[in-house]
Amino acid sequence: MYNFDYKELGLKCGLEIHQQLDTETKLFCRCPSKLQGTREPDFNIMRYMRPVLGEMGTFDKAMLTEYKKGNTIIYEGYNDVICTYELDDTPPFSCNEEARKITLELALLLNANIIEEMHVSRKNYLDGSVPSGFQRTMILGTDGYITLKKGKKIRIAILSLEEEAARKIKTENRTNFYRLDRLGIPLVEVTTQPDINTPEECRECAERIGLLLWMTNVKKVLGSIRQDVNVSIKSGTRIEIKGVQKLSWITILINHEISRQLNLIEIREELKNRKVSEKDIPQEPVDLTRLMGKTGSKSIATGIKSGKKLYGLNFKGFKDIFGKELMEDYRFGTEVSSKVKVISGLKGIIHSDEKLENYNFSQDEIKKIQNKLNSKEKDCFVLVLGTIKELKKAIDIIINRIKYVFKGVPPETRKALDNGNTEFLRELHGGARLYPDTDSQAIMNTVEETKKIQKTLPNYPWDIIEDYAKMYKVEQSSIKKLIFNGQLSLFDSLIDIYPAKPSIIITTLLNTAKSIKREGKIIENITNDDYRKIFLELKNKKIGKEAIEDIMRLKADSPNLTIEQSIMNLNLESLSIEDLKIIINEIVIKNLKIIKEREMRSMGPLMGEVMKKVRGKIDGEIISKELKTQISNKLKEMK
Amino acid sequence: MKDKLKGYKGKSIDLLKKYTIEIWDIIQITTNKTQLEGILMPRSEYSAPDFIEIKLENNYNVGINVSEIENIKKIGKREANYKLPEKEFPYNKDLPKLQLLGTGGTVASRLDYTTGAVIPSFTPSELFSSVPELAEICNLDCEIVFEILSENMKFEYWQKLAEKVKQAVDSGFDGVIIGHGTDTMTFTSAALAFMLKDLSIPVVLTGSQRSSDRPSSDAALNLINAATVAASDIAEVVVTMLGSPSHDYGLIHRGTVVRKMHSSVRDTFRTIDDIPLGMVRNRKIKTFKNNYRKRSRSETTINTNFEKKVALIYSYPGMENEQIEFYIDRGYKGIVFAGTGLGHVSTDVYNAIERAIQEGITILMTTQALHGFVGMNVYSTGRELQHLGVIPGRNLLPEVGYVKLGWVLGQTNDLKEIKELLLTNIAGEFIDREVPIAFNYNIDELLKNKKL
Repeated sequence: MYNFDYKELGLKCGLEIHQQLDTETKLFCRCPSKLQGTREPDFNIMRYMRPVLGEMGTFDKAMLTEYKKGNTIIYEGYNDVICTYELDDTPPFSCNEEARKITLELALLLNANIIEEMHVSRKNYLDGSVPSGFQRTMILGTDGYITLKKGKKIRIAILSLEEEAARKIKTENRTNFYRLDRLGIPLVEVTTQPDINTPEECRECAERIGLLLWMTNVKKVLGSIRQDVNVSIKSGTRIEIKGVQKLSWITILINHEISRQLNLIEIREELKNRKVSEKDIPQEPVDLTRLMGKTGSKSIATGIKSGKKLYGLNFKGFKDIFGKELMEDYRFGTEVSSKVKVISGLKGIIHSDEKLENYNFSQDEIKKIQNKLNSKEKDCFVLVLGTIKELKKAIDIIINRIKYVFKGVPPETRKALDNGNTEFLRELHGGARLYPDTDSQAIMNTVEETKKIQKTLPNYPWDIIEDYAKMYKVEQSSIKKLIFNGQLSLFDSLIDIYPAKPSIIITTLLNTAKSIKREGKIIENITNDDYRKIFLELKNKKIGKEAIEDIMRLKADSPNLTIEQSIMNLNLESLSIEDLKIIINEIVIKNLKIIKEREMRSMGPLMGEVMKKVRGKIDGEIISKELKTQISNKLKEMK
Repeated sequence: MKDKLKGYKGKSIDLLKKYTIEIWDIIQITTNKTQLEGILMPRSEYSAPDFIEIKLENNYNVGINVSEIENIKKIGKREANYKLPEKEFPYNKDLPKLQLLGTGGTVASRLDYTTGAVIPSFTPSELFSSVPELAEICNLDCEIVFEILSENMKFEYWQKLAEKVKQAVDSGFDGVIIGHGTDTMTFTSAALAFMLKDLSIPVVLTGSQRSSDRPSSDAALNLINAATVAASDIAEVVVTMLGSPSHDYGLIHRGTVVRKMHSSVRDTFRTIDDIPLGMVRNRKIKTFKNNYRKRSRSETTINTNFEKKVALIYSYPGMENEQIEFYIDRGYKGIVFAGTGLGHVSTDVYNAIERAIQEGITILMTTQALHGFVGMNVYSTGRELQHLGVIPGRNLLPEVGYVKLGWVLGQTNDLKEIKELLLTNIAGEFIDREVPIAFNYNIDELLKNKKL
């Protein structure tokens, strides 16, 4: 799709990876760190956030923008899992030791310099996602590295431990609703230096950091890991892409971003060639409301009827610029339009590089607009519909975005979308949002403790993957999956019980579990102990391997049954060879006709019939062997 | 040198001296593991001695063990450069003229982003910058009377505040707001209520439970509510603070029956033994009671005499005579007991109490249950204590009992007059009847009920 020379482009990427830790309680209070899903909250409280005066006697711009939105915040909580700390009504308690130790282990695995005396800092957020208005955060390690497959080292800038923010539920009439169950769950953040030079390197680095995190005690659920990617090329600028949910997105996102930046630069050069400059950008919009009051365009007509205004802007020499594709299915017009959407809340813009017929404008109307805006053949005009207040914001955004075209790529934070594209999320935050937390004392990572943890560090997951695959003769990808499922230690314990065929364990944990889950059954009802019992029964030949799937299915449906009971219920008590011989004999006699006709090829249908009666009670290989013997004996008899 | 290396001691101060490094220097530290660059920070006196604390470029603070440091290089210095906001507090002739008196506390403060320290911020322009809504309610004049933590308050400060209020009344202010630390707000509000018992304008104490340096602070809303009350017709000393965990409404509490009831929540203040005077929400006041003093043009008198030799003693099992004797021997003039239950102390200290009273010390009984009256006719202990000469303090909160006894002893030495004054309702500290909802009032009921 893309064929970039990344070296030539001077591609530099950095990663920021956030991962929730799976601790019993939260980072600074002793509430359980347990999400409550869709459970109805017990109580609501209402709050407002205000910007605080900064050092320079002024307010931070990003904070002021947030405040000017005038949003009310409603926090939803539960009496059994939320305390007054989460409500910002009680000072923090001591730092969660378990979380600190997990992070310390991670820091050592990342070869970081350990900060012996940590100081908690506050990071301001005015969007309401944290009731105090700031997140408590501390750095535990600096200056580390992670090694990629080919030996390249990616430097780790910092490893920090912080509080997860509250979960946003909805926005209704300028009120943001947040659920407090997620707030305060320990979160580690790994930030690399921009040492990554290709998309594939970036994916690999994210995967390795992910594997490392998932080897330790982290929450293994969707959404518990969040990846942000910083992308820059020599001629462009640094863009932060937030919320990359899947590893496989990374390469696509980076390529798309490179394409976007290159095309924006192309636009800049093209305009230079056309001798168009910032001076040609209009300052004020033209009101087209009266002109278009009776337009055939239904959406515009209804808008105007309801009191909205239609504004137009003409951009001299901009023909085909708005229509230029920056990345797949994303034109420069989309770029302007999505920024308008995010900030002003308007649906978007109309521009003359689009097929205006789609909006049901008549040729005559288009002429009228062009005349009024003094728009020529080589120009492009933009139309926006909205209330005066919305338009004021929107026009501002459009003009400023167009002006930036002459500079190149505006630095900003963008959001990753499912289709591999990105859209404007917010302006880059200024620095100095961080200041010391006056409510807490320094937290120590003593040299003795660090030494102790250093001695018991686990192996690197990528080494484990290689070793296990070799040792147990299974695919590397299977072991990787086990790690991402958090089942590596379960696998180890099952191997101890049933070392004969590791592949059966792999199939059970990965494939069988997946297919049962796909049937809509609750796979979580099968505990690690259940798996261990199943394999113990298998080892003791109480069941055949064919029975595993049935036992799992039953257990997933009825969590209160023990494995023994499940085996009984399924009538799976193991069959003796003698009994098997009798059953097979009965079936052979019943099917003499088929045997006569098909001779040894009757194995297939007969095997099916035998299995119906004995599935899971005895090993399939024994069955097949016995059936084969009996059929061939019968055939001899017949001859 | 000491201030330039604030908080450093032991090995760390030696090392910093060796490299001639001062606080706020930008330094590069080479340890046996890595290199770190940042600003040398002042350190808390009580933190570990052998660490050097720097603010990294990413604004995180970290402490580095001196034993790991191989070299320090100074590469610059950071200049502190806080600028006052340039906006003037606007004047509007149609709005009431209020005075805001600062005493310390976090209600009006700003943040030093480097140290995280909270610095009082009290110029009108600073207040206008951080709480611009105030300009829609009033014309504001600000004065810092003192800057102390509220636990360090004492009667001299109450006297000075009372004088400031008197001056404000005399110079034509329509109301006074007092920014105060919440810890001892009850003591100050009670003291002002006794010292200025015929006030003609509102005097509103307010504070914040979350300091104003954080986005979630209750300070701005409390200030807005306090300004609204200070512009109202309630000419009493009152406390106005949030009435629920939400940033919704404030409650108006009479200054002699209010108490901080929680160490940290926003709605910590409660009226005890009664319902609040009213509430304030969206700059509107709704009163729940009628019996408050209305704004008037009459003269406000001031009486700040106060006897400081008064002790407040918490009654508990195992108390001994010598604790009380200590106060007798030191020449104390009054003792207030926060008695158990209906107003009791152990019979073990009867001897000391008897001696105290013989020596002319006034003893006032209150209840550590806080809610309800003392009832010293119910049990023999109560009757015996009364017989010894202990004065039952009706529904007085222990803190208010302390302030009242100090003020009364400041007025007279005559034992009969002391007793009479103690039992006179001077500033709304006594209630005639405890309404059933007083113990557990909630806002929905108060809004539903008939005015009391």
